[in-house]
Amino acid sequence: MLKTKLTPEQLDQFQAELDALRSEVAADLGERDATHIRSVVREVRLNAVAGRGLLMFGFDPISFIVGVCALARAKILENMEVGHNVLHGQYDWMGDPTLNSQQYEWDIVCDSGHWRRTHNFEHHSYTNILGQDDDYGYGLLRMTGDQKWTWRTLLQPIWYALLAIGFQWGVAIQDLKLGRWFKGRMPKGELAERAAPFLKKARSQLYKDYVLFPLLAFWNIPRVLLGNALANLIRSLWTNAIIFCGHFTADAQVFTKAEVAGETRGGWYLRQIQGSSNLEGGRWFHLLTGHLSHQIEHHLFPDIPAPRYVEMAPRVRDICARYGIHYNSAGFWRQYGTVLWRILKYALPVERRLRLVRA
Amino acid sequence: MTTSPNQRLWLGLSRVLYSPWLHPLNDADAWERLRVWMNPMWSRRDYPARVLDIIDETPDTRSFVLKPTARWPGHRAGQHVVVEVEINGRRVHRSFSLSSAPTPDRRLRITVKRQPGARVSGWLHEHVRIGDVLRLSAPTGRFAPAEGAAPLLLLSAGSGITPLMAIVEDLHRRGDPRAIVFIHCCRTPADFIFADRLRVLAAEWPNFELRVHYSASAGRFDVRQLSDLLHCQTLVCGPRALTQNVEALFLAAGVKDQVRSESYSGRVLPHGDATQDSFGVHCSVTEQVFTARGDTSLLEAAEAAGLKPAHGCRIGICKTCQCTKRSGTALNLRTGEISSEPNELIQLCISVARSPLELAL
Repeated sequence: MLKTKLTPEQLDQFQAELDALRSEVAADLGERDATHIRSVVREVRLNAVAGRGLLMFGFDPISFIVGVCALARAKILENMEVGHNVLHGQYDWMGDPTLNSQQYEWDIVCDSGHWRRTHNFEHHSYTNILGQDDDYGYGLLRMTGDQKWTWRTLLQPIWYALLAIGFQWGVAIQDLKLGRWFKGRMPKGELAERAAPFLKKARSQLYKDYVLFPLLAFWNIPRVLLGNALANLIRSLWTNAIIFCGHFTADAQVFTKAEVAGETRGGWYLRQIQGSSNLEGGRWFHLLTGHLSHQIEHHLFPDIPAPRYVEMAPRVRDICARYGIHYNSAGFWRQYGTVLWRILKYALPVERRLRLVRA
Repeated sequence: MTTSPNQRLWLGLSRVLYSPWLHPLNDADAWERLRVWMNPMWSRRDYPARVLDIIDETPDTRSFVLKPTARWPGHRAGQHVVVEVEINGRRVHRSFSLSSAPTPDRRLRITVKRQPGARVSGWLHEHVRIGDVLRLSAPTGRFAPAEGAAPLLLLSAGSGITPLMAIVEDLHRRGDPRAIVFIHCCRTPADFIFADRLRVLAAEWPNFELRVHYSASAGRFDVRQLSDLLHCQTLVCGPRALTQNVEALFLAAGVKDQVRSESYSGRVLPHGDATQDSFGVHCSVTEQVFTARGDTSLLEAAEAAGLKPAHGCRIGICKTCQCTKRSGTALNLRTGEISSEPNELIQLCISVARSPLELAL
């Protein structure tokens, strides 16, 4: 699939259409969105209480499985539909300090301040620009021929499996810029400064799941420990799969710094669409992905409440069709299959280009 | 300050209860929502108050009689509260004077004039029913008569009567011996808020003299009518034009200290499409001031003045530079939205000033 190029006039018109769509939805925000996010917060809490309760007080395998699922569901919903979206400022207009982007702290080892920098700023501004968007391969995976191949890359299916299992740790240490530190490009003391919020957050998360709740159920310590670990594992695998489907499917494009020089907002919109891909599914599926199943709409309008993407999608699709832009959307297994295929394919020294791109 | 053993026990207990080592069991927001779900009066955030009665004072003014919980810290006559309401998913805050004196039964009254186009007063009139729960801040303000023996002059216009009504009730309840002249200005007799109550007081309380000025028939109130009352301790509440004129009059007479005023002004309206104008921006946290031209983003203007606000993408996506605009009008260049309500969030990198601003920066 080739990148679509638009003339400057087309680009301006294209931008105006997307801006108009955004204004229309922004003007309609209200009660419905407030009720939605509050009901999800309630669901998160009920699931967490039920899950932890079943793990603490149950003795049978069925309550264990149900407990793990409920706790994993709480963590997934909290991270995806509440945390990620609230941290984008999607609900700042409500004026509720408990749902404010600058004050919210989510249930994950990644510090929310770190996240706002690496994700909201770096990833969403420089989406899929090699060398600027750290999310592109997380400095670990070669997902396109434009990235450097080394012998280490051969083992990337293993690196990927490890990243998927410990995904929350992967995103948590992203802002430490360990790559720069290893190469000796970081001034002394900077790493400690960068690591402080991460260490604090990691300590409190580990304490909660592996000390406080197991101790509260002292008669059931192994069961609670195992249940919490499994819930965290399920959350990591799920969020990783969904997030990798967002930018690494077969047709998701990458960009170079030179390509985006002097980019207008229309050009930025175009890059967001061409670098992202959607997942199709039912209502419950969209909710569990935090509506990242609508990655394209999310990247166009990161601060519009996510449930709105569902109604915006057909209109974005229509705009894309009129400008001849490929709208990358398919079912989960199909998209994830192409992601896994890319991980396998680029582990080999294929499509090596002469152009050097600094990772 | 010394603490009693009881207080120390309570302090120690709350330190344990709110300790981060118990998180998330002591998640304040989760418990708050559970309490509010069970009974809105059990809220521990701000001060909930139940609406006991709604009284139509004039065709466009309504009083709400409120009963707060036992946590209510009590108020002094002349103070105001901030009322928080949620309108279409958005929390909005407005200040209203308490129009009642503190009483042993701890009832409060706020009196709300419905302003055309004003969201909160209109919403209170339309949506609040007896039995509902309103959310109040702690009372604040120092608008009160000075101690002493000099006679008092109370002057109000329109809904500016509300804190003065509380003060009059309070003076009456405490049997204050001073002579009091109360002058109230309103458009017509039908617009006279608390007319009956004040007339009864004037009839039964010899110290108290009531004068009413109807601007529809007698024209705009001229502050020069007060020149024989300049020896009084004066309290004035009304639109800014009135309070400024009264202050100027007392200043000219060399008795500036004898007047205390409280005024309300409408929203600051945008100065057209003033891209060439410059506006002063006051940062209320760092206490710094800079000037922003109408065609330069607030982020750039702040940086040009040597400030270093947090920022990221500079194109309105990441919200790193978002801050609370305390007052004034700003234009969002990306969406074309005008923000003129107090305490709205704006993104500095894509906003320009359309009036002098105060930012929580």
